[in-house]
Amino acid sequence: MKRTLSVLLVLIVSCGFIFAAGGAETTTTASDPNTVKVALLCIGDENDQGYTYNFIRGRDRATEMLAADGITVEWVTKFNIGEDASCRDANIEAAEEGCQIIINNSFGFEPYMLEVVDDYPEIEFISCTNSASAVDGRANTHNAFANIFEGRYLAGVVAGMKLQQMIDEGQITPEEAVIGYVGAYSFAEVISGFTSYYLGAKSVCPSVTMLVSFVGSWSDATAESDAALALIDQGAVMVSQHSDNTTPATAAQSRGVFHTGYNNDMTGIAPNASLISTRIDWSIYFYEAIKTYVEGGEIPQDWCGSWADGSVVMTTLNEAIAAPGTAEKLAEVEAGLADGSIQVFDTSTFTVGGEELTHAFAIDTDGDFTADSEEAVYDGAFHESVFQSAPYFTAQIDGITWLNAAY
Amino acid sequence: MREEKTAFIRLAKRTDMDPRKVWMIRVGSIVVALLLGFVPMLLTGTNPIEAYGVIISGSLSRPVYIRQTVRTAIPLLGCALAIAPCFKMRFWNIGAEGQITMGAMAATYFALYWVGKVPSPVLLVIMFLAAAIMGGLWALIPAFFKAKWNTNETLFTLMMNYIAIGIVAWLQGGPWEGRKGSQLIPMFDDAARLPEVLGVNCGWIMVLVLTVLMYFYMNKTKHGYEIAVIGDSVNTARYAGMNVGWIIMRTMFISGAISGVVGFIFVSGANHTLYSGVADGVGFTAITVAWLSQLNSFAMIVISFVLAVLEKGSNTLQTRLSVPASIADIITGILLFCMLSCEFFINYRLIFRRKTKEEVAS
Repeated sequence: MKRTLSVLLVLIVSCGFIFAAGGAETTTTASDPNTVKVALLCIGDENDQGYTYNFIRGRDRATEMLAADGITVEWVTKFNIGEDASCRDANIEAAEEGCQIIINNSFGFEPYMLEVVDDYPEIEFISCTNSASAVDGRANTHNAFANIFEGRYLAGVVAGMKLQQMIDEGQITPEEAVIGYVGAYSFAEVISGFTSYYLGAKSVCPSVTMLVSFVGSWSDATAESDAALALIDQGAVMVSQHSDNTTPATAAQSRGVFHTGYNNDMTGIAPNASLISTRIDWSIYFYEAIKTYVEGGEIPQDWCGSWADGSVVMTTLNEAIAAPGTAEKLAEVEAGLADGSIQVFDTSTFTVGGEELTHAFAIDTDGDFTADSEEAVYDGAFHESVFQSAPYFTAQIDGITWLNAAY
Repeated sequence: MREEKTAFIRLAKRTDMDPRKVWMIRVGSIVVALLLGFVPMLLTGTNPIEAYGVIISGSLSRPVYIRQTVRTAIPLLGCALAIAPCFKMRFWNIGAEGQITMGAMAATYFALYWVGKVPSPVLLVIMFLAAAIMGGLWALIPAFFKAKWNTNETLFTLMMNYIAIGIVAWLQGGPWEGRKGSQLIPMFDDAARLPEVLGVNCGWIMVLVLTVLMYFYMNKTKHGYEIAVIGDSVNTARYAGMNVGWIIMRTMFISGAISGVVGFIFVSGANHTLYSGVADGVGFTAITVAWLSQLNSFAMIVISFVLAVLEKGSNTLQTRLSVPASIADIITGILLFCMLSCEFFINYRLIFRRKTKEEVAS
């Protein structure tokens, strides 16, 4: 009894000592006006080699760019946050730990972020890829996205060149030029993405058609691979994706068909299949937003990057397998996108139900989740991401077949 | 001669331990666990002293953090209360996760479709009752099969979890989805949210009331006595004329109903929306809470709060020291392991072969 008591006392005293020593708060408030504390809340981690990895790359590059301007960024990066109440807690914690700007990297974070923003009016909250913050009337909530559909259009051109080469060389008939597209959900961002990709391919390969399979997850390596294989079984000779993993690329390589990727260069993983990838370079936005904040300006309510400002970039073209002349064609289309002479959703290039698209609304104002204002079709094109940065193209155009729409 | 035949280590049940010593061992095991926690921290290059400091200050140093910690503790306590009577009865209900989810689902239905039709207090009462009934019915299914055909309740309740989670996942992407393709059910209207008392949703009052009620139910009522008898010996209960099947079903309904209420507190008080992971593992963690507190309602308050401190504190650990969240999970695991194994040493003594004579002599 006595012995136990003495052991216990020693333990407790040592513990008390530990807590007394470590309990002091270590939070720092940036007193230097050129130092800013920024939180980046991520849905995954760098190991996804896709979505979150792309954000981390943007973060690191922006840090360098800002350092060159004499601005020091102290990052608080939190990984693997769910699109649930843990996201709200992460936002509260980042705010309490003295972050001046809090960036939420996933679409589903926004509603939870908006639950806490009113408690911290002096902190700037940014929701990437979503759309409610810009129009909620609050000064401290912001949205940001980039015209990734421009990058997808360019990737589509590369794919179309390859398909046309295969037709010209007699490897496939014009009817066999089928693209298989692995999508996450039947959601505006995805629909806009695969439609622009298809239109890019069609601009150089008129006979192309597309099959779309939705996997019901932003990130499910096995389901993405299965969907890609099923699409190839149904005749796809070109695979592309709007999902976070590299498995569609490896599936394409294993079946000897071609692939274009998203978020990251996949030519290292599938050198015989992957032609090119497109991704958003977030450093442009991070740099602009943080610099504006430090200089005392207002971060824009809704920011939309584009091909022209460098926010949408292409990875290195896989010249070994790309069709001859692809690089030249790509440069031509890139210039056209930059100067505005090429419109991705040119209404003369596609039909909906056999007819030209003459009308589509962009914005939902009454909260019923159906767009009801701002005419997006004018001057011969559907104007994507003009009225808000998040995509709103949802038309099902001819030539694209949805294999499933349950998601 | 007997000595040579005995095993090197034998176990003997202890009955005579001084209660003060028992509690000292329990506190001691926590301290040992905290010291063992140094190992993973040192391996990842974190100063353990600083790390523990961050856990404490990150969960208790500010009103906001205390509120978050309490918010984490509420469902743990509620759910531990829910499974306690089942465990007392030796009915291994590991389906609290699903019962929470179904309760949350029922509450969400009314939050989404009855808002504006009835005043807010009425709506909240309806949501509360719907959640309790739905959670209770969900728990009644395995109880019925157990009572009728003596099916294995452990597997049955576990499998029911995945069905419940699957149903909510379907609702999330299907009929209850907000913006098309978003997989998100819209946030509740203010009328469907639990009011806050002292900065935390009033769920904390509900679970504290439940704690007292459960204490009386288990210790002072005929029902509680019946549950204890069945837990000790089903045959004794039968011999005494108890309707064992009926008691199993009744107890499971009560257990599921409380879990359902926890689900209601989750959606109405904390998350303000529904998603398939709504129960967030609470149904399983609560088993640990119930077990560590020896099914004592009041001890559960302490244990659930300690676990909440660890959970909230380890989030801050990630924020301030960039410690991976999984390290915090490892430390929590070590703590639970030490606390549970100390119960073993409280209940049993190890007898080594050489010492047999001394033990006998003493």
